[in-house]
Amino acid sequence: MKTRVLGIIGLLAVIAAAIFGLFVVPPDANQGDAQRIMYVHVASAWLAYLSFGVTALAGLLYLWKRDLRFDAVALAGAEVGVMFTAFAIWGGMMWGKPVWGTFWQWEDPRLTTTALLLALYVGYLLLRHLTDDPMRRATRAAIVGIVAAIDIPIVHFSVIWWRGLHQTATFADPTKILHPSAPGLFVLALMGMLTAFTLVWGYLMIRRYQLARIAWQIEEHGRLGRITAARRAAVERAAPPPPSAAPGVVDGRVEEAGS
Amino acid sequence: MTLPRTAWVALTIARKDALAELRGKHATTSTLFFAAVVLLLFGFALGPDTRRLQEAAPGLLWLAIVFAGLLAVGRLHLIETDDGALEQLALYPIDRRAIYAGKAVSGLAAMLILGIVLLGVVAILYGIDLAGAWPALVLTLGLGCIGFAAVGTFYAGVTVRMRAREVMLPLLMLPVIAPLLLAAVKATAAALGGDPFGELAAWLQLLAGYDIIMIIAAAATYGFLLEE
Amino acid sequence: MSNLIFIVAGYGVILGGLAVYAVMLRRRLRAARDESLRIRRDAEAAAVEDRPRP
Repeated sequence: MKTRVLGIIGLLAVIAAAIFGLFVVPPDANQGDAQRIMYVHVASAWLAYLSFGVTALAGLLYLWKRDLRFDAVALAGAEVGVMFTAFAIWGGMMWGKPVWGTFWQWEDPRLTTTALLLALYVGYLLLRHLTDDPMRRATRAAIVGIVAAIDIPIVHFSVIWWRGLHQTATFADPTKILHPSAPGLFVLALMGMLTAFTLVWGYLMIRRYQLARIAWQIEEHGRLGRITAARRAAVERAAPPPPSAAPGVVDGRVEEAGS
Repeated sequence: MTLPRTAWVALTIARKDALAELRGKHATTSTLFFAAVVLLLFGFALGPDTRRLQEAAPGLLWLAIVFAGLLAVGRLHLIETDDGALEQLALYPIDRRAIYAGKAVSGLAAMLILGIVLLGVVAILYGIDLAGAWPALVLTLGLGCIGFAAVGTFYAGVTVRMRAREVMLPLLMLPVIAPLLLAAVKATAAALGGDPFGELAAWLQLLAGYDIIMIIAAAATYGFLLEE
Repeated sequence: MSNLIFIVAGYGVILGGLAVYAVMLRRRLRAARDESLRIRRDAEAAAVEDRPRP
C-alpha cells in the first residue's frame, strides 16, 4: 500500500516538474528552448548512475552475506538502470542535435561513457538470463557488476583524457547551463525534476524487487516441480483431484504480502 | 600459502596450458591466421589508398588483436571444462588467485605472440616503418596484452559454463576493455608518429593504471567463480 | 517554442517510456503473483490429497 502511495506521489511530481520545466521556466539565453531537455536528461543520467551503484553495492553484500534478497536488489538496479541509461542517451541526443548540430558528440565524455554503460549492463542482464542456477547466477552477476562499476570511472577518465590531449574546441558544457538570466528558476526546475524522477525510481525499484522475489519463488517451485509432479501423478491415479479452494480468500493474503 | 608457492603453482598451471596449446597446434595457428585475414579484410575495406591504411593502422592492429585475443582467452578456459578439469583444479588446496594468475599468464603468452606477429603483419601489409619506434611499441604491446589477458581471463571464467558463451564473452568484455583499446591505440599511434605532442607517456600511464586496477579487481573476485 | 520537435521527442520518449515500463512492471508483477498463487493452491491441494485416508 505504501508503495502505491509512493508511485502516485512520483507520478504527480513528474507531471508537475514537467509542466514547470516546459512552460514556467524561461528559455535559456544561449540554447533557447532546447535547454529544457536537459532537465529530463540530467535526471535520467543521475538515476542511471545511482542504479548501477546500487547494483554494485548489492553484489558486494551478496558475496558477503550470501542472501538472495541482495541479488534481487542487484537485478532491480540493473534493469531500472538500463532503462534510465537509455533515456539519458536519448535525452542527450535530442539535446545535442539543436545545440551541437549532431546527435552524437564523440568528444563528450558523458555521452560516450553512457553508451558503454548501456552495453555493460545489457550484458549483465543477459548474463543473468543465461544462467539457470540461482546461486551461480547471483555470484556471477555480483562479480560482473562489481568489475563493471570499477570500470566506469576508468572509462570516463580515459575519454576525458582523449579529449584533453587533443585540444579540440570546447563545446557547451551542460554543467554551465545553470548560470544565465534566471538562475534560481533553472536550479529549481532541475532540482524538481531530479526529485520527481528519484521518487519514481524508488517506486520502480521496489516493484522490480518484488517481482524478482516472486519470480525466484516460482523458479524454485519449478525445480521442486519434477518431484512433486511425479508424486501427484501417482496420487491422481488413485483418486480424482478435489475442487480447488475459493480464490477470493487466498487473493487477499497475497495482496497483503506484496504491496 | 606463501607467495613463492603461489607463484610456483601459477607458473605450473601456465606451463600446463602452454604445453596443451603446443601439442594441439591447430588452435594457435588458426587464431593467428584468423587475425591476419581480419587485417587483410581491413585493407579491402579501407584500401587501396595506402596512406589511409597507415593512418588507421594503430586502430586496425588493436582491433585485430582484440578479436583474435577473444578467441585465445576463451579457449584457455574451454580446455578445462571438457572433462571437468576446472572443478578438479578448484579442489586442490591452493590459493584461488594462483589459478587465476596461471590462466592469466598463459593468456598473456598467447596475447604477446599474437601481438608481435600481428605487428609484423601490419607493418608488411600497410607499409609501416617500425624501425625507430621499437621500445615504445614493445612497451605498449606489453602493457596492452597484460591488461587484455587480465580482463579476458576473468570474463572467460565468468562465461565458461554459460549458454551462448561465444556471444557472451565478447559482449561482456568489449565494453570493459574500451579504455584499454583507446589508450593502446593512442600510444601506438604516438609511437609510430614519433610522438610529436609528447603524449605517449600519458597513454602508457593510463594503460599501466588500467592494468593494475583490473588485475586487482579480477584476482580478488575470480575465486568466487570457483566456489560455484 | 523553438526546436519543438526535439523537446517533444525528448520528453515524449522519456516520460512515455517511464510510464510504459511502470505499466509493464505492474502487469508482470500481477502475472507472477497469479502464477505463485496457482502454485500455492496446487501445493495445498496436493497436501490435502497426501493426507492418509481413514
